Amino acid sequence: MNQPLILLIEDEEPLRRFLVPTLTGQSYQVLCAATATEGLALARSHNPDLVLLDLGLPDLDGMAVLRELRAWSRKPVVILSARNQEKDKVRALDLGADDYLAKPFGAAELLARLRVALRHSIPAEVPRPVLTSGSLRVDLESREVTQAGVPVKLSAMEYRLLEALARRNGKVATHAQLLAEVWGPGGEGNTHYLRIYMGMLRRKVEPDSARPCHLLTEPNVGYRLNLDREGPGPG
Amino acid sequence: MDTPADSRPILVALGSEAHALRLIQAGFLLARERSAPWIAAFVDRGPGTAAEDAEQIQVWLQEAQRLGATLQRVEAPTLAQGLAELCRRNRAQALVLGRSRDRWPWARLGHSTADELQRRGLDTELVVLEDRHELSAQDGGSIDFSAMVGALLVLAAATGLAWLVPREGSLALVLPVYLLGVTFISHRWGARLGVLAAVMSVLLYNFLLETPRFQRAANHWPNLLFFLLMLFAAQLVVGLLRRLRQQAQVVKRRELHTASLYLLGRALARSLTREEIARTAAEHIRRVFKAEAALLFPEGEGWTVLPGPAVLEGLPSPPDLLVRLAEGERLGDPLEPLPVGEATCLSLTGTDRSEGVLRISTEAVQGLPPRTWELLKAFAVQIALALERLRWLEEARRAQVQNETERMRSTLLGAIGHDLRTPLAAIHGAASSLLLPGEVPESTRRDLLAMIQDESERLAHLLGNLLDLTRLESGAVQVQKEWQPLEEVLGSALGRLERRLGALPVEVELPEQLALAPFDAALLEQVLLNLLANAQRHAPGKAVSLRAWSDHAWLHLEVADRGPGIPEAFRERVFDKFFRLPGAGEGGVGLGLAICKAIMQAHGGTIEAQERAGGGTTFCLALPMDGLPPVAPEGGL
Repeated sequence: MNQPLILLIEDEEPLRRFLVPTLTGQSYQVLCAATATEGLALARSHNPDLVLLDLGLPDLDGMAVLRELRAWSRKPVVILSARNQEKDKVRALDLGADDYLAKPFGAAELLARLRVALRHSIPAEVPRPVLTSGSLRVDLESREVTQAGVPVKLSAMEYRLLEALARRNGKVATHAQLLAEVWGPGGEGNTHYLRIYMGMLRRKVEPDSARPCHLLTEPNVGYRLNLDREGPGPG
Repeated sequence: MDTPADSRPILVALGSEAHALRLIQAGFLLARERSAPWIAAFVDRGPGTAAEDAEQIQVWLQEAQRLGATLQRVEAPTLAQGLAELCRRNRAQALVLGRSRDRWPWARLGHSTADELQRRGLDTELVVLEDRHELSAQDGGSIDFSAMVGALLVLAAATGLAWLVPREGSLALVLPVYLLGVTFISHRWGARLGVLAAVMSVLLYNFLLETPRFQRAANHWPNLLFFLLMLFAAQLVVGLLRRLRQQAQVVKRRELHTASLYLLGRALARSLTREEIARTAAEHIRRVFKAEAALLFPEGEGWTVLPGPAVLEGLPSPPDLLVRLAEGERLGDPLEPLPVGEATCLSLTGTDRSEGVLRISTEAVQGLPPRTWELLKAFAVQIALALERLRWLEEARRAQVQNETERMRSTLLGAIGHDLRTPLAAIHGAASSLLLPGEVPESTRRDLLAMIQDESERLAHLLGNLLDLTRLESGAVQVQKEWQPLEEVLGSALGRLERRLGALPVEVELPEQLALAPFDAALLEQVLLNLLANAQRHAPGKAVSLRAWSDHAWLHLEVADRGPGIPEAFRERVFDKFFRLPGAGEGGVGLGLAICKAIMQAHGGTIEAQERAGGGTTFCLALPMDGLPPVAPEGGL
């Protein structure tokens, strides 16, 4: 698809004034809605490729909009959250939102997140077989992990964790999502398992585990694999 | 240090006497001196104990318990038996007991409780406190049979003694013998029997001792004089004794009143709310006056009655009642009780105004002697002062909060005035010059745009900090503690900062196996970001050292920089809102460290600034490792 259609559901005028030209300047088509009702109506009539959803809307809770959208659409949703909406942010991600941006954010960050979100929306959930993050290379087909060309030996659990992150293709994965994927149902409460394994994984794949450059932490939310095309990737 | 014997308890025998408070204090002091436990004991001598005595004993026992005594009660026919039993049972090292002075010499010679205890061969040390005031309180109201017999015996003894005196000219010798007898009778059995005994003495003398014996000898004129003298002396002695007795009673009552006022005052001093004061007051009034009492507080058009269920029938409205009470005030006695319906009301007047009304059931206080009324008024004054103290305390607290808010508001306004306006002015200026008609050179355009971005970031940062601090301080932020490695937040904080400022010279020193600790990752990341950014601002390019270690109770973290250091005087104040070190350059509004402190406090942890050896500042953080760490996943690696 040449010109992806983005639906922006945002009630604040100044943000819309900043976002619309930024997005159209990057040759996206943009639809604007100032309320949740209007946004849902536009989503049904135009079926956009991506929805940028503000969590604080005047008429309806952003969470309700997300639930309604997810009832019929698998298209990516990126959340715009204000400073005091940390909990809602995680709930939205667990409910199926693809990523989030905390206000205030810059244009570069926004565009990078949109590219990540759009990249794997078509075709649906088929990840690239080989992912690289700086010197880290993960081959999902042969199940091989190398760091600076040297193979890394991972335990089964560590590999499953890395794989779960890799399959998200650079999107953030919440603690709950990772726990469900790696430990299966029932493991949701044991966030510290996840943290311990993440620590072990980092010690194997990060040159300096106190300054991770591949496996990034999103405090109180989850983790993200820092894939190449986004940002300068210091490693 | 202590010999084993010292751990044996000290026993204090309590009765309903007024000087029980002294016994309690003596026992308490003795126990403290010997660092031994002590027991307040009461010997229940069967159903003879009056109800009010029993209540009074309850008060003493409670007081003893407050001073750390354990309480014991034993039933025994006599005090000595009960105490001996208690001493044996507790293996007491000492027994503190009181002795009243009205014991007669023969009691002292062998029948006093102390002596009896000694006879029982206890190895307990006896500490006997004399009651300095108490005298027999028996009133000469009625003459009972045993008293009569006793008086007759005394007279018989006196007559017998007089018989031995040689007959001739014996009046001068006989008179003191009878006088002694009559005085004794008056003292022991009361005034009336004294008069009776005086008359009988005359008759006895006339019939038995005067010669010729067994005759009416009223015609002897010295006998008339003898009769008059005897009557006069008896009256004098009886009068003196009565006065003495009354004084003793007054002293005893006063001591009881003082003790009950003292107990009330102390209980009130511990009351922190109006409800507590009302409950304490009602409880003490019930105990001392056997009357139900409640405190009334005017509340709009009605009354708030504390404690307990409101009984408002027949109660006039607040303005009405307060005016009537105030009228009593104008008559000279501000505490003049006022009968209102079925109850009596006393104004609770403190230093400057009425704090409320004390309502007490009338039938209970009707028969009170005047002195007990005085005590009730003294109670009212105590209660009023307690209420007043509470009101002043609240007012002071409110004033303090108001001052603090006022001060905050002015600092906030000052800070906003400067720190928000400057970036706004720059943004506004840059944007308007970009919008000016005509060509702007490309380099200028980029400079202006970069400035807009920088300044708006600064604004966002400042506002974010303000918002964070407000939310933290108002308790709107819920700390989501989760057990996690410190390494993780450290990593994300460093990553975030380096993305903003470029590579940082931070030396991280973490033990290989640093235990998990419970904290909120986002909040702790904020603390680290603020500390590292501070270090970077005050000592650009110089290495920052970051160390962490844990003992069982705390996770310790040190962030040490090589900046200019913080003068000793400011090391606590740097955590205050809007505090900036004098001479510190631009940038920063003095919120970063205040946020750090608020976050650490929300975690139950601490943060402090220390001087770093070799120059610079070390921020020492400690996080409590509360609760049980989660179980590690099976298999480990």
